[in-house]
Amino acid sequence: MSPRETVICIGCPLGCRVTAVTDRKGTVTALKGAECKQGQKHVLEELRNPVRTLTATVRTGDESFPLLPVRTSRPVLKVMLRPIMRETAKVKVKPPVKAGDIVIANVLKTGADLVATADWPAPGEGV
Amino acid sequence: MASRVDVAVIGAGPAGLAAAVAARERGAERVVIIERAEQLGGLLPQCIHNGFGLLYFKRDMTGPEYEKAFIDMARSRGVEAMLEAMVIDLDAERGITAVSRRHGYMKIKPGSVVLAMGCRERARGALGIPGTRPAGVMTAGTCQRFVNIEGYMPGSRYVILGSGDIGMIMARRLTLEGAKVEAVVEIMPWPGGLIRNEVQCLHDFGIPLLLEHTVTFIHGEERVEGVTVAKVDAERRPVPGSDRFLPCDCLLLSAGLIPENELSCRAGVEIDPVTGGPVVDQNRQTSVPGVFAGGNVVQVHDLVDWVSWEAEAAGRSAAAYADKGRLKRADGVRVLPGKNIRYVVPQFISGKDDVTLHMRVTRPGLKATVKVGGVMWKRYRTVRPSEMVILEVKGQALREAGVKGELAVDCEIRGGD
Ligand code: SF4
Repeated sequence: MSPRETVICIGCPLGCRVTAVTDRKGTVTALKGAECKQGQKHVLEELRNPVRTLTATVRTGDESFPLLPVRTSRPVLKVMLRPIMRETAKVKVKPPVKAGDIVIANVLKTGADLVATADWPAPGEGV
Repeated sequence: MASRVDVAVIGAGPAGLAAAVAARERGAERVVIIERAEQLGGLLPQCIHNGFGLLYFKRDMTGPEYEKAFIDMARSRGVEAMLEAMVIDLDAERGITAVSRRHGYMKIKPGSVVLAMGCRERARGALGIPGTRPAGVMTAGTCQRFVNIEGYMPGSRYVILGSGDIGMIMARRLTLEGAKVEAVVEIMPWPGGLIRNEVQCLHDFGIPLLLEHTVTFIHGEERVEGVTVAKVDAERRPVPGSDRFLPCDCLLLSAGLIPENELSCRAGVEIDPVTGGPVVDQNRQTSVPGVFAGGNVVQVHDLVDWVSWEAEAAGRSAAAYADKGRLKRADGVRVLPGKNIRYVVPQFISGKDDVTLHMRVTRPGLKATVKVGGVMWKRYRTVRPSEMVILEVKGQALREAGVKGELAVDCEIRGGD
C-alpha cells in the first residue's frame, strides 16, 4: 500500500473522497475526508479487504437459452474476480436448474459458492 | 376475451408485475398483464448484476433474482399473463386493442388500465453524432442483451458515450469478459449514474471517465474503427483543438432513457414535457379517468425498488377504480418544480393526505435544503441529478398550512458542487 491512498466511500450518495495516510508498516494512521463514522469503517474495510459480489454467466449449450446467470453467494476479494471469471468459462450446466442452485461450490476456495440466479427452463405463460 | 377483465396491466417488467400483484391484493378479481415479449420480467433478465432490492427486500439481489421474486408473487396471487401480445391501441375509454399469434386480434374493455411500458434508451439518431453508419454502434442495453442473454461479444474494444448506469455496468461486464474499454465519455461535469457504479465498475478496473467530453465523430465505413472525442465548454460545445482519436470497434450509447408513451398518447393522456411521462396525481391516475401509470413510464427511476413502489400505488388505485367505476382525481394542488428542481412526481396531490414526492435536481450540490412551499423542509448532505430525491410530506402539515392551488418545491444549495 502506498503511503497515501484515496478511496471513494459508497456508503451514501455523498461519495466522500477519503484519503488514508499509512505508515511504513501499512497501518492506517489518519483518515481525511469522511463525513461520518460509518464511512470511516467502510473505507478501512475497503483498504484492507476490498470485496465485491461477482455476477457473470455460464454456458448451457441450449440454443434458446444459451446462458445461465450466476453470482457469488457472497462478496469475494476483488483480486479474485478475474480468476473466478476464468472458472465460469470452464463449466457447462445441465437443466433443470433452480435459482440458488450451486454451480461451483467454494469457488477457488474463496468461501463463496457460484450460484444460479435464474430458473432454467424459465417460467413461461400460464403464470 | 370471454370474461370481464378488472385490471389490465400493459407491460410485464418490474412495474407491471408489481402493479398486478398490488391490484390483486387490493381485491381486483381478474388482473391480466399484457406483454409483447415472450417472457415476463421486462429488462430484468438481462440485468444480471447485483444491487437490486436493497430497499424493497433488504437484500442485495441480481436482476433475475428480483424478477423471480415478483413472478413468484404474481403466480401465488393469481395474476394472469398474456405473452407475445402487443397492445396496438388504447382509447380514451380504456378500450385496448391487442394482437397476438395465440389469441389473434383482441378487443378488451377492462375496468381500469395500468400503463407499465417502462422506458427505452436514447439512440444515436436522438444524439445526432456525425459520421458514417458503420456496424458496431449500439445502445448499452442492446449490447447487454447480446452479452448476457444471447452470448455474443459484439466487439473487443469499446468506447462508451454517456455515463448512465447501464453504460458503466457494461464497462465492467465487458472488461471481465476480456474486452478493452478505452473510456467512458460524459458530456456533463458529473457522472450520469450512481456513485457505487462509478467506483465498482470504472475505478475498480481503471477505466477512464472523461467528464465534459463528447464524441464528435464516428470513424469507419463497414465497421467502427474509432471515434473522435473532444472536450466541451460550459455550453457543451466541443472545444476546438481538444479532439483526439480513440480506436475502438464498438461505440455504446448510454445517454439517457426516455419513457415509452406512444400508447399513452393515443389514449390522450397528458404528458409532462420534462419527465416525458404522464402527468399523474398521488394515486398515479393519469388525465384519462381509469388509466393509471407507474414505474419508468412515468419517470425514469434510479432504483428498481422505487419502480415497484410506484407501480404498486398505481395497481392499488386501479383496483379501487375497477371496483367502484370511479376514483376521484386527487388534483386539489398542483406541485410545481421550483429552484434547482427539474421535476416533481406526482404533479397533482390532494393537499390533504400523506404523500411521497419524487424529484430530480438540475445540478449537484452539497448541503442542500429542499423546501415544499411553506409546509416543510428537509436537509440533505448532498443532492445529485443522478439520484432521486425522495421526500415524505404529511397530510397534517399540508392541511395546517392550508395549501391550495399551487405548491412550489425548491432546492437551496449552500455548499459547492
Ligand atoms: S463517509 Fe459517510 S457521509 Fe461520506 S459517503 Fe461515506 S457514508 Fe456517506
